[in-house]
Amino acid sequence: MSAAANQLLLVVFPYVAMLIFFLGTIYRYRNAPFTYSSLSSQFLENQQHFWSLVPFHYGIVTVLAGHVVAFLLPRHILAWNSVPLRLYVLEISALIFGLLTLTGLIGSVIRRLTVPKIKIVTTSLDWHVFLLLLFQVVSGLYVAVFHPWGSSWFSAALSPYLWSLVKFSPDINFVAMLPIMVKLHIISAYTLIAMAPFTRLVHILVMPNPYLWRKPQVVRWYRRFVPGVS
Amino acid sequence: MRRNWMREWYLAAGVIVGLVAPWPAGAQKPADFFRQNCMSCHTIGGGRITGPDLKGVTQRKDAAWLEKFVQNPKAAIDGGDAYAVQLQQEARGVIMPTIPGMNAEMAKAMIAFLDAESKLAKSQFAGGAISDRPLTAVDLALGRELFYGTKKLANGGPACVNCHTMGTVGGLGGGRLGPDLTLVYARLGGRKAVGAWLVAPATPTMQSVFRGAALQPEEILPLLAMVEDAARQGPAANQSSLVKFFVAGFGGLTLGLVLLGAAWRGRFKAVRRPLVHGGMRGEE
Repeated sequence: MSAAANQLLLVVFPYVAMLIFFLGTIYRYRNAPFTYSSLSSQFLENQQHFWSLVPFHYGIVTVLAGHVVAFLLPRHILAWNSVPLRLYVLEISALIFGLLTLTGLIGSVIRRLTVPKIKIVTTSLDWHVFLLLLFQVVSGLYVAVFHPWGSSWFSAALSPYLWSLVKFSPDINFVAMLPIMVKLHIISAYTLIAMAPFTRLVHILVMPNPYLWRKPQVVRWYRRFVPGVS
Repeated sequence: MRRNWMREWYLAAGVIVGLVAPWPAGAQKPADFFRQNCMSCHTIGGGRITGPDLKGVTQRKDAAWLEKFVQNPKAAIDGGDAYAVQLQQEARGVIMPTIPGMNAEMAKAMIAFLDAESKLAKSQFAGGAISDRPLTAVDLALGRELFYGTKKLANGGPACVNCHTMGTVGGLGGGRLGPDLTLVYARLGGRKAVGAWLVAPATPTMQSVFRGAALQPEEILPLLAMVEDAARQGPAANQSSLVKFFVAGFGGLTLGLVLLGAAWRGRFKAVRRPLVHGGMRGEE
């Protein structure tokens, strides 16, 4: 990757992505507030849905949390990893959650391709998101397996790079010579951030956390479903 | 009707990327450039390391050749240039990398810099002395601790195992972001060359990571002992640790799916119906 491409994709693009994210989410909330959700298809089909929704979300939330912890507390991660057994436990756990994410994502794609009702409500933008998410997860797993140990070198090299962006003093040298799959994983993450406001990914910002503690509700219909009567 | 935002997305991304695409890279002083990129392989008046001593290099080849070579050494070798091929052979096959930031302007500045430094009685880049005393078992033990990170590096740099592996690293091996270091002695040309690399790492990633956290002289010899020991003991790390790692992950995935299935095994029958029935009983 040339120096100009590095500058564009690893310095300029993250700022552009964050700008689009902030402005886009505000714009969408003001102009189309009722689309501000995951646009769930659970009511249309909920059998295959379980094997995509559950592994994907448990996987991605844990993996994302791991990235955030390494970003915020890099020295603690390096200290934890200074004992090989602890390093291996952390890395194998991360790999398991990454594989759960991929399993759920593949399940989700299969469901959207094979269930007619779900296929109809899947837009071309949804397919773009699926493609990008698939690339993001597969590249992450590739990096985890072929360029270990990610938790350590993320803390040593990527965390300072990200902090340099946060401080508006970008230092490209931390990442300029990293393997191409690592860079593509980073760039793809920025792309997902930039796309989030325009897609169902926006539901990350409106997670229904109260579901965890509110009382159960019964959803009731006023009349029975009669075949042939709409 | 759901709104499709794809057009807005492409429009916004295209306009903003188009606006900010021209992004000039900052220029660097030749001495800083040499310190960051060259001194791990070259000295000026301190003898050969991996690459040749650059004292008087402008007397050995003309400026036009040097400018062209440093901008793309591999192209000169691939093009069959006799002197470039000779340089590669003298460096035991190591090809000088194309350095990020090296362009025609920087090449001219570097050659002028090398000319000026060569005329000094002693250049600031004459090279530090790496002790050639025999390495001991104590060095090796300390080297292992530093490599694994069980003993912290004095200036707070990350341990080698985070990014590098060697044939002697047990368990699931070391990191593979950087190269396997088992045969680095043979690759770079012995203690002096590897020591010089540890004093001033040549890759941008290592330079950045160790900026403000340089290795101490007393840490370098133990790490060299670890590298020497790995080279003596045998071949580079193989891929079996990666296979073990992946198998462990796949086993965990299977267990995870079984647990998720078990945790929600009553998901189609145990939620709504009891609630509805409970509600109906409450109404009666």
